[in-house]
Amino acid sequence: MRIPFMSLFMTSPFDGLQEHAEKVKEVAWAFQQAMECYVITRCTTFEDLRNEVIDLEREADSIKRRIRGHIPKGTLMVVDKFQLFRYLREQDSVLDAVEDAMDWISYKPEPGVPEDIQQDFFLLVDATIEPIEELARMVKEARKYFDGYSNKQRDVVKEIIRTLRRMEHDADKLEDTLKRKVFAEVEDPISVFHLVRLAEIIGYIANHAQNAGDMMRAMIAK
Amino acid sequence: MGLENYILVLGFIFGFYMNWNIGANDVANSMASAVGAKAITLKQAILIAGILNVLGATFIGSHVTDTIRKGIVATDVFTDPHVVLLGALSALLAAALWVSFATWKSLPVSTTHSIVGAMIGFGIMAGGFSVIHWVKLSSVVLSWVISPLFSMVISFIMLKVIIRFVLSIKNPYNQALKLAPLFIGITAFVMVSSFLFKTPLGQNLAVDGYLAFMIALAASFIIGHAGTLLIRRFVTDTYQQRGAEEVFRKIQIGTSCYVALAQGANDVANAIGPLALIYFIVKTGTIAEAVPVPTFLLLYGGVGIACGISMAGYRVMGTIGTKITTLTNTRGFSVDFSAATTVLIASKLGLPVSTTHAAVGGVVGVGLARGLEAVNFGIVIKIMFYWVLTVPVAAITSMVVFLILKWFL
Repeated sequence: MRIPFMSLFMTSPFDGLQEHAEKVKEVAWAFQQAMECYVITRCTTFEDLRNEVIDLEREADSIKRRIRGHIPKGTLMVVDKFQLFRYLREQDSVLDAVEDAMDWISYKPEPGVPEDIQQDFFLLVDATIEPIEELARMVKEARKYFDGYSNKQRDVVKEIIRTLRRMEHDADKLEDTLKRKVFAEVEDPISVFHLVRLAEIIGYIANHAQNAGDMMRAMIAK
Repeated sequence: MGLENYILVLGFIFGFYMNWNIGANDVANSMASAVGAKAITLKQAILIAGILNVLGATFIGSHVTDTIRKGIVATDVFTDPHVVLLGALSALLAAALWVSFATWKSLPVSTTHSIVGAMIGFGIMAGGFSVIHWVKLSSVVLSWVISPLFSMVISFIMLKVIIRFVLSIKNPYNQALKLAPLFIGITAFVMVSSFLFKTPLGQNLAVDGYLAFMIALAASFIIGHAGTLLIRRFVTDTYQQRGAEEVFRKIQIGTSCYVALAQGANDVANAIGPLALIYFIVKTGTIAEAVPVPTFLLLYGGVGIACGISMAGYRVMGTIGTKITTLTNTRGFSVDFSAATTVLIASKLGLPVSTTHAAVGGVVGVGLARGLEAVNFGIVIKIMFYWVLTVPVAAITSMVVFLILKWFL
């Protein structure tokens, strides 16, 4: 409190938001590796990768709590406090969905996915990784927008949000194709159940990324 | 050497101590936004603040001196020069002690209000509660609310205007250059009119309100265009990339110079006022209603402030430079502009305004305009608490010091 002028300035929650988004990106890469490992049958490192995801998720969680815990009453920000929290929740849900997918995989003792649908699984996973990677870029560009409030920069952010929506749509279609193929080609009912459910959980990841985009759209609304 | 001369020497010592404190405590307020927004470096800030405070104190200061002394405490009830001597001395020491304590304990206080409080304490000791002009005192209380509020509104509007007409336009850099004469012009208008209205400089020139207005208008037109030409001269391609902020960075150098100058002019009175009173009584042996402030005293005060700035400035502003990273030049300009305008208008209304209060209000205004990623509005309540606390604490300290001094002298 030495200088009244200075005590007015506080650590920006956007620093935390950015950090959180980067963590989400790291999780996405670990998830991708884990899925590649799982899908091809001779996988030995899946548990390690899963633990890595769990650790990263815990770190992201503490970032989330730090952001929430350091916005006292009467903080003036570029966006509404609750918009910020809603956004953060969606960004965090991406992580939860990834963790859910990993957990679901771990419930089934023998690894592997039938060869015929392996390619489709890879496509679906890649389709969900892409929107996650966009999140960090979106936060970065949004901060630039709040700095200058230029329409051009606003369009950059809007374009990312549009991309997120398109990616989610693509992921949806891939999920449908995959599920159809599972029912057509896999005979063991337990495997069908496991694979269909897995495809759905992976689909949620892209959903939450899209929701985060929608919240960002509300944050940059004029 | 008589007792009076001892008191005069003590007065000079305490006066320097108080000025040193003013420099150490207030330098942050004038230069913080400029340093935080990286408009100027730490060294430049200290150099500019030091020189301009001396210049402002010596050549523009003195008018505000009697507002504080005469306004709130009725000096005409004092008949005993000895009591007034002791009173002025104790007020000076009390204010300096309180500001020192506040600086040490990191409490945000206003040096202006410290001396006001100390003077009140001395007034009560010498003449009882009846010598206090409560109406005038209430104007001090009012200024705690009005000056930050007013500053807040101005900086809010200013930033909104900048966002609407410069930043959100297709090519902000060209737009900023195009509108630069306007932004520099209105800033120059505030500066020139404050020099004409507020200072002995203006009174010596004997310009009345209307003429002063016209002069300020003409000057702001000229300065606005000259300043823009100057900025254009330094334009390079790298500036184009940084956009409008670079243009405002240049303007901000001008505004922070003004704030330093105005601060020297305003704040020197806080310490030199009581000292001038002591000096006058010792020299003439009488008490007058208005005491002239010799130029050398103002220079003395200015140098004291500059010493405080140079000694404490590095630590204070170094912290600011590294801690406040989100303040950009357009925001910094809005804060500077609102603080300068508030100080001008408030002192025109006769309120003992503090630059500290105006600067705090300015930052809140920028925050309300969604100009900063995070501003802690809650802290304002805490800051205000110390503003309110300052006057009674300084008053009581002054009373205690008075009693002690009376024992010895």
